[in-house]
Amino acid sequence: MSVHIGDWLDERIGWRNVWEAIFLRKIPKVNWFYTLGSATLFVAVLQGITGILLTIYYVPTPDHAYDSVVFITTQVPGGWFIRGVHHWGASAMVILAVLHMVRVIMSGSYKYPREVTWFTGVGLLLAVMGFGFTGYLLPWDQKAYWATIVGTRIAGVAPLIGDPILRIMRGGEELSAVTLARFFGAHIWVLPATLLLFLGFHMYLVIRLGISAVPRKEE
Amino acid sequence: MEEKDQLGRRNFLAIAIGAIGAVIGVVIAIPAVAYVVGPALKRKTSEDWVRLGPTSKVELGTPTLFKTTIERQTGWIVTEEELSIYILTEDGRDYIALSNICTHLGCRVRWITDQGQYFCPCHNAAFDKIGLVVSGPPPRPLDRYETKVEDDQLYILLGG
Repeated sequence: MSVHIGDWLDERIGWRNVWEAIFLRKIPKVNWFYTLGSATLFVAVLQGITGILLTIYYVPTPDHAYDSVVFITTQVPGGWFIRGVHHWGASAMVILAVLHMVRVIMSGSYKYPREVTWFTGVGLLLAVMGFGFTGYLLPWDQKAYWATIVGTRIAGVAPLIGDPILRIMRGGEELSAVTLARFFGAHIWVLPATLLLFLGFHMYLVIRLGISAVPRKEE
Repeated sequence: MEEKDQLGRRNFLAIAIGAIGAVIGVVIAIPAVAYVVGPALKRKTSEDWVRLGPTSKVELGTPTLFKTTIERQTGWIVTEEELSIYILTEDGRDYIALSNICTHLGCRVRWITDQGQYFCPCHNAAFDKIGLVVSGPPPRPLDRYETKVEDDQLYILLGG
């Protein structure tokens, strides 16, 4: 029966070609370090799911942000779990992405013909950093507030363009309701869109070029 | 024949990946469903007698409107909600307390003295003096609250 449906669909949408290109493609004999990219992707999907769930209750205004987060954590069934996965997943994202990058450096995988894959990877790393930075403010507690004061000040010390950058990040001179709202907007709309764009390109290139083999030992 | 009996390396891995994926999916899906439907399952369980005002305010034989505000916790916000209750008494001893919420789709009904009827503007529903449906779409009479009188003060029972 399921084979029948599979055939029926394949005849119309050709999913088997796509499936084979993604999951049954030939790869060289590699080691476990070559799974770090997939691990990052897995956590990214997890972040997407838990993040979408969090927006069901979270409200990005100074008078409701903290209370809604407390409500999620203490009142909503499973809320502590959803938020916990999102919280720890955020750190896992940064760690896994960096480890993945280290592996790519160590194995020389960034070299011809995979330079553009590397470029998109850099874009992805920046997006992940952006997620971490904007998401940190959203609970709107003391740590979030002061971390963002400091973080935006750091951006502010850049010569010449520092002050405009700081003002654009904060949406004014002070860290305020405007800052919280724009960090939220960046966190759930701008950055996910950016991430998907880079990720799509990154995956396309990985599939198109295949992954690199482990470098051989030569004297 | 022999090939079919043996679980090849490829099939084993496919099944193992599927099984692990299913476990991870369930571990996420169960809390996710609980998380989404959780607040919907919460019901108010406490009952409260709410004081409406002195019985002397109630006119004999005609519904009198009482208003009271109650505090309600919704999510992380405590809101004040205004309740309107029509009180009817024919003899000054037995009281009927009617909710002003139309039983059709929840609009607010109003007592029209000239016609001697409650009227709901949303779908032209009419109820009589004691809340029975006269015309229009409502499926049942207006809801009633339990009442009691203490020291000439009128109380109704909310929640439960």
